[in-house]
Amino acid sequence: MGTSYIYNRDASRLFIAVRENGKRYKLFIPKESKPAINGAEMDIDFVEQGDFDYTFEWKGKKFHCELVSRDQNKAIVKVNGVEYKYSIESIFSYIRRGMINSDANKIDDNNIAAPMPGKIVDIFLSEGDLVNAGDPILTLEAMKMQNEISANCNGVIRKIKVQPGQSVMKDELLVEIQSIEV
Amino acid sequence: MKKRLLIANRSEIAIRIIRAAHKLGMVAVVFQSDREPEALYLSYADEVIPARDAHNDKAIFLDAERIVQLALENNIDLIHPGYGFLSENPDFAQLCTDKGLNFIGPSAQLIRDMGLKTVAKSMAIEAGLPLVPGSDGPVRDAQVAKEFADRIGYPVILKASAGGGGRGMRIVEKPETIERNFKSASDEALAAFGNGDMFIEKYLQNPKHLEFQIMGDKHGNVVHLGERECSLQRKHQKIVEEAPSASVNPQKRAEMGEMAVRFAKAIGYYSAGTIEFIMDEDGSYYFMEMNTRIQVEHPVTEQVTGVDLVDWQIRVALGEHLTLKQEDIKITGWAMEIRVNTEDPQNRFSPQTGLIDQISFPSGDNIRIETGVQSGAVVTPYFDSMVAKIIVTGTDRADCIANTLDALNNFVLNGLKTTVPFCRVVLQHPAFVDATYTTRWVDQVFTPDMLENEDDEMIGALAATIMYAQEYLQLSSDIPWYKSDRLNVWVLNKRLNY
Repeated sequence: MGTSYIYNRDASRLFIAVRENGKRYKLFIPKESKPAINGAEMDIDFVEQGDFDYTFEWKGKKFHCELVSRDQNKAIVKVNGVEYKYSIESIFSYIRRGMINSDANKIDDNNIAAPMPGKIVDIFLSEGDLVNAGDPILTLEAMKMQNEISANCNGVIRKIKVQPGQSVMKDELLVEIQSIEV
Repeated sequence: MKKRLLIANRSEIAIRIIRAAHKLGMVAVVFQSDREPEALYLSYADEVIPARDAHNDKAIFLDAERIVQLALENNIDLIHPGYGFLSENPDFAQLCTDKGLNFIGPSAQLIRDMGLKTVAKSMAIEAGLPLVPGSDGPVRDAQVAKEFADRIGYPVILKASAGGGGRGMRIVEKPETIERNFKSASDEALAAFGNGDMFIEKYLQNPKHLEFQIMGDKHGNVVHLGERECSLQRKHQKIVEEAPSASVNPQKRAEMGEMAVRFAKAIGYYSAGTIEFIMDEDGSYYFMEMNTRIQVEHPVTEQVTGVDLVDWQIRVALGEHLTLKQEDIKITGWAMEIRVNTEDPQNRFSPQTGLIDQISFPSGDNIRIETGVQSGAVVTPYFDSMVAKIIVTGTDRADCIANTLDALNNFVLNGLKTTVPFCRVVLQHPAFVDATYTTRWVDQVFTPDMLENEDDEMIGALAATIMYAQEYLQLSSDIPWYKSDRLNVWVLNKRLNY
């Protein structure tokens, strides 16, 4: 998927909401722009906020949401008078649970190694950032050429093993990405 | 001296009647029941009589003796019974009359007659109204039943004379099965009620419920104010009503209306009344019963005719002549009424009781609100679940549907679930839009998943996630498109819990 929904965004703001019927929503609640759902930024506005309810306006329609009950990460929300149940998790707890629950096919880290010896010129992201497959992470200079090293999967940057200015050998580990497929 | 009108009712209809009383310059008096001592209607009345009914088996509104006693103590002139409760109780009407109180409604005798189905039907036959074809009395045996069914056509319904609750009842589709069904239904009735007598009637598979509003005075004048269609029902109770009906053209309206007037005149009816018909798919219609009270759905008729029915009820009770002429009554535009019941349409319309945290109604030129509650009201289990009515008009039916949907989109009730989402589904359903819906729509078509839609589901996920995220990230202050200084929900939640 070529969407850029998680590019250079703070992973702590990515959540997964799963409805009782199994339907999943990836939600990004950013600091300075509108939220994104399943990769698409939403042109949505808050109209009103009460103690336990929100009213949104979207596509020219009002959506009145009232929190009916909440137990841990499970919430029942009444939207325009009809109840929907969700369980919500941060991306981290989602991954953690994913690893605990499925030992057999546990999610592997996707390591990115240096394709050639060279010097790290620039690093665009930091640990905890979200990336899409193909997003540039850092620039490696080799033989007077600048090479962009990109993410090999959708996920979270788990570890950055190098620093700008550092020289690396071929196959040296540069970045660990925790892949996320939701 | 100003006349004193006592309302033996509560909630929205009490407020509606108070408005009518004030229009006529009367003093409006209501009861305060201990079962809802802070009800909204109390604040509209000029005087409130404390009913002190906390320790009585029945709420004041059902206690005929006590109503009359308190009315006499409080120098009441007229009593308006509203709908439900004692409104169609002939003994109550008689008691009022005996004690010199002016009961707003028809005579006690007529209330009694119309309350007895067999009496009402025989009076209807006399007045030349069509009845659903059926046996006048019990049919002797299966063979007679079969001959009868062959004559009136299938399907037919077999009903035990003593029946009830569906026992001893069979719908028969074809001649081959009538004898077997007759025997089993009759045996069932005999076992259940000790009486195996069976009636037979034509069965209407997809009927519409139509009713004609009439108004008569004590001097023999009667007019009709057109029909209402109330086919949309759940648990045999109306939930969406409209006036006029798309199934009644001007010619049929004149014909059925004339019939309703003829019936009312024949029985000497005065006050507001409703004559109910059941209409088959082919347009044939049959008399069902007459309601001798003002009805919940009377506003739709008022909206399309411009006639104030409650006002006329009171004036007729005072002996005034009806100045309405049939030729002056015109139906203009379309009106629909949405009943706001605190019920859960996702769960078999089970009643919801408790606190209404917030309620806010749509407003506009084409919107009329009749409510018995406001924010902070408590819905108790003592009374019915209807808390308000939203009545919307339009230039024609399609315009009215669009306006009603718009109005419902601006209705908010926090704290309890209501029938409003269900009504939104109804208004958008093809069978409602093309007006082919019948009384069986809820049973045959409606499923709770029709209440859900993808947009709502997605926005719900967003709301749930923002609520969760605020706690998780303590984000409340740094979502810029979320402009509010109010306490965020999760902080409040924490305070409540810890």
